[in-house]
Amino acid sequence: MESNQTGTKVNRYKKIIFLGEGQFATVYKAEDLETHDIVAIKKIKLGKRSETRDGINRTALREIKLLKEIEHENVIGLLNVFFGHNSNVSLVFDFMDTDLEKIIQDSSLVLTARHIKKYMLMTLLGMEYLHSRWVLHRDIKPNNLLINKQGVLKITDFGLAKAYASPSRNYTHQVVTRWYRCPELLYGATLYGTGVDIWATGCILAELFLRVPFLQGDNDIAQLYRIFEVFGNATEEVWPGVSNLPSYIEIVVKNDKYNLSDIFTAASEDTIQLLVSMLMLNPAKRCTATDALKSAYFSRKPSPTISHQLPLPQECSSLANDEAVSSEHKKRTLDDGRASVAKKSSPCNCDLSGSITADCNTVSGFRTVQRV
Amino acid sequence: MAGNFWKSSHYEEWLLHPQELELGRREDCEVLTKEQLLKLHIFYANFIQTLGEHALLRQQVIATASVYFKRFYVRNSLRSVDPLLMSLTSIHLAAIVEECDMQTGSKLTQAYSGAVKSKFRDYFSVECPFNYQTVLECEFLLLEMMDCCLIVYHPYRPLMQYVSDISDDTLLPVAWRIVNDTYRSDICLLYPPYLIALACLHMAAVMRKKDIKAWFTELNMDLDQIALITKEVLQLYELWKNFNESKEMREIMEKSPKPKFTKEGAKSYNNAATSSNS
Repeated sequence: MESNQTGTKVNRYKKIIFLGEGQFATVYKAEDLETHDIVAIKKIKLGKRSETRDGINRTALREIKLLKEIEHENVIGLLNVFFGHNSNVSLVFDFMDTDLEKIIQDSSLVLTARHIKKYMLMTLLGMEYLHSRWVLHRDIKPNNLLINKQGVLKITDFGLAKAYASPSRNYTHQVVTRWYRCPELLYGATLYGTGVDIWATGCILAELFLRVPFLQGDNDIAQLYRIFEVFGNATEEVWPGVSNLPSYIEIVVKNDKYNLSDIFTAASEDTIQLLVSMLMLNPAKRCTATDALKSAYFSRKPSPTISHQLPLPQECSSLANDEAVSSEHKKRTLDDGRASVAKKSSPCNCDLSGSITADCNTVSGFRTVQRV
Repeated sequence: MAGNFWKSSHYEEWLLHPQELELGRREDCEVLTKEQLLKLHIFYANFIQTLGEHALLRQQVIATASVYFKRFYVRNSLRSVDPLLMSLTSIHLAAIVEECDMQTGSKLTQAYSGAVKSKFRDYFSVECPFNYQTVLECEFLLLEMMDCCLIVYHPYRPLMQYVSDISDDTLLPVAWRIVNDTYRSDICLLYPPYLIALACLHMAAVMRKKDIKAWFTELNMDLDQIALITKEVLQLYELWKNFNESKEMREIMEKSPKPKFTKEGAKSYNNAATSSNS
């Protein structure tokens, strides 16, 4: 009886095309033959030695565990899990066309203040929901924010996520991709909270304006240095208890801290305010997702764009044939796709052209200042 | 995890109706009497508890493992997997899910030997009959049978809230122990944890002769449910008291359906089947 059940589950999906390969899994685009929805199937790899020795991949198990309890418009939906032969596991997700990293790097796309506000709104709504369910994502970065053709953003990749406030409270600090890692993690804190996700989101907000990662360090020390260059030194006055953190070392940056409105010259006052409160050095002073959603940034004009008017990279906005998608993805796995994506040019959505010219200037304005 | 119970997989998929329970166990009931089956569950719950203690796991992890074990045998006959293997697997998976990983197989087998030496010498061999690989394969099966619902809510957290609300700490240890005991029965499959917590608290109050009637009336909720759970707990104690393990367990174990070689499913479980037959 049981084997029949799995049989039908496997046969329910028809593979369309290979999408890409990660460290732990291969991803396929597939059609759900019952509902005729397009889905993404993530097949967890079973390596020869290490993985099978440990049984089910821990990362996949975390993902299953948490996503099974979660349902929100802005969080990726785990639609199904099935078990094939040789004890391999496949996770079925909503299919998403692109991600925020691709959009940020696609120089042919223009991001207006209204677009940025919509991205932030969706990210923060998803995050507020996660935090209210006591889930820390711990790996927020642009390529974990997926976007579909309808312009809906969904937070994905819960491989590092963790239920917090559970009794075993010592967490590892080796989480979050470095450029989005907050100072307390860089200092090796093992007790942390929602602030780690908020800091990363703040970095993304900045990146949406600058179109390049805001704080880029080559190693942990350089990352801290970069942070302090912008936000000033982490002294006991601004951040009580900082010197007690496990890997605290005193880093003194000579220059005066930047004025954020000098970096983001064209950003409105309320944007700067939000940035400042999301990027507080002291995690206790950093705002929560709910605070951010209630901030003036979201209550003041301009209002966020409607989802389906958000810009999409060319291969998604047109009815991309699958071959193009697949070759694009292969390229991405080969060379991280940084250069290749940028070359593609496409006119952006025409119905917004009115506001575009003005924003083009502001965007390039940010760039020049960044170089300073 | 303190998410929202009312939106959880526990609430949506794993609060069962007594009839579902009966239906799922129909096959086993053809071989064993109902009482014997309940006793078998008490026995293995005890084993999981001892195993967990020897693996130095927290009570919550042990409770989660007990629930996994029960969930599996609601949907499967005892014939499908040796319950001993399933106890090991439940403990192992629960430890991973609750993020207090055992990392290696040797820790699990050590805990097994320790547990057997302490109380279960008469029933199991001190040497673990299953290798770690078998446990890992069984883990996939358990995961699939539970439909990947891994997060289990327990009465402990609500219990602590209620006790602090009454502000009477003396009730906590008594109620806590009763909660631990409920995992020997099917109560955790049938009722939401907050109701179990209330029932246990009620019983603790009666035992300690504390009057918390006023507090219960203020709760403004269906007391029948609590009475029902209380009844089930009392039934459990009655059964447990009259359960002479050393006399009865052998018969139950001999009678209970064993995994066999069959075409389907045999592939990954043949290890289990051969070792339990030998």
